[in-house]
Amino acid sequence: MNQVEFLEIVSPFKDKLYRLAKRILISNDEAEDAVQEVYLKLWKAKTNIKNYGNVEAFAMTMTKNFCLDRLKSKQASNLKLVHTNFPTSGNIERNLEANEGVAMVLKILEDLPEQERIVIQLRDVEQLEFSEIAKILDSNETAIRVALSRARKKVRNLMIKKYNYGIG
Amino acid sequence: MELAKIEQLLDAYFEGETNLKDEKILRDYFLNENVPTHLLQYKPIFVGIEAAHKERFQQEINLPKPETAAFTNLKYIAVAILVLSFLVGGVYFSQSNELTPEEKEALAAFEESKKAMLLLSQNLNKGAERLTLVNQFGNAKDKVFE
Repeated sequence: MNQVEFLEIVSPFKDKLYRLAKRILISNDEAEDAVQEVYLKLWKAKTNIKNYGNVEAFAMTMTKNFCLDRLKSKQASNLKLVHTNFPTSGNIERNLEANEGVAMVLKILEDLPEQERIVIQLRDVEQLEFSEIAKILDSNETAIRVALSRARKKVRNLMIKKYNYGIG
Repeated sequence: MELAKIEQLLDAYFEGETNLKDEKILRDYFLNENVPTHLLQYKPIFVGIEAAHKERFQQEINLPKPETAAFTNLKYIAVAILVLSFLVGGVYFSQSNELTPEEKEALAAFEESKKAMLLLSQNLNKGAERLTLVNQFGNAKDKVFE
């Protein structure tokens, strides 16, 4: 397989990988690095790519694991996560300033535990079926529904709290 | 979409019991419809999720540069040079095993001087043995004149 053929297979889901990486790592730069790393790993394993069945799900799992490892090693080395979400690469952030409520939701998402962030990302943002999410996370549908419900309620409750005190 | 249905879907949504179709209905409603005040607090959630969905990976995917034909040729050339240098080196060293007349002469001289040194050291050892005998005299004298 040459690079052109490889890129044809793996490019369509680059945004999905990036969004997942960013949901876990928060920082744009780190998310971009993570996606590049995942693609490099996929490229090195390209001879097996046809055996992976669903390459996209496989790449999503790789991204999730890679980012969680990154977080872990960062916490281990006691480095504080630096949020570099200034309007450098994303123009979304800038547009969001107009809508404080939305910025608040995204901030709340950042503060959720990683696993809850991941299920919200895969379900609400990427709109994947529970069966697909279960496959990516190597879990079962019930556990995912439970985690998802918990995460959604947390977002709702924090939103209501802030909404009533803040901009309401 | 009637309000009661939306409220019911919202409840199910927070329980994790909606399917993708239900969730699309909710999204469409909160993004497009005129949302009544008592549901307005949920709007940012769906707007925020929609915004998150629009993020894009803005880099090119970086893969290692493929090896060009020129580079592959270069590798073969490098291997050829290595093999050649071993061959040349081998021939050179095997030749150097045959000694020139001067080297033979030097070697002979070296053997001769080795023999001479050996003889010298043997005689030295003999001398040392005799010296221990002299010491014996000393001991005996000490005993006598105690």
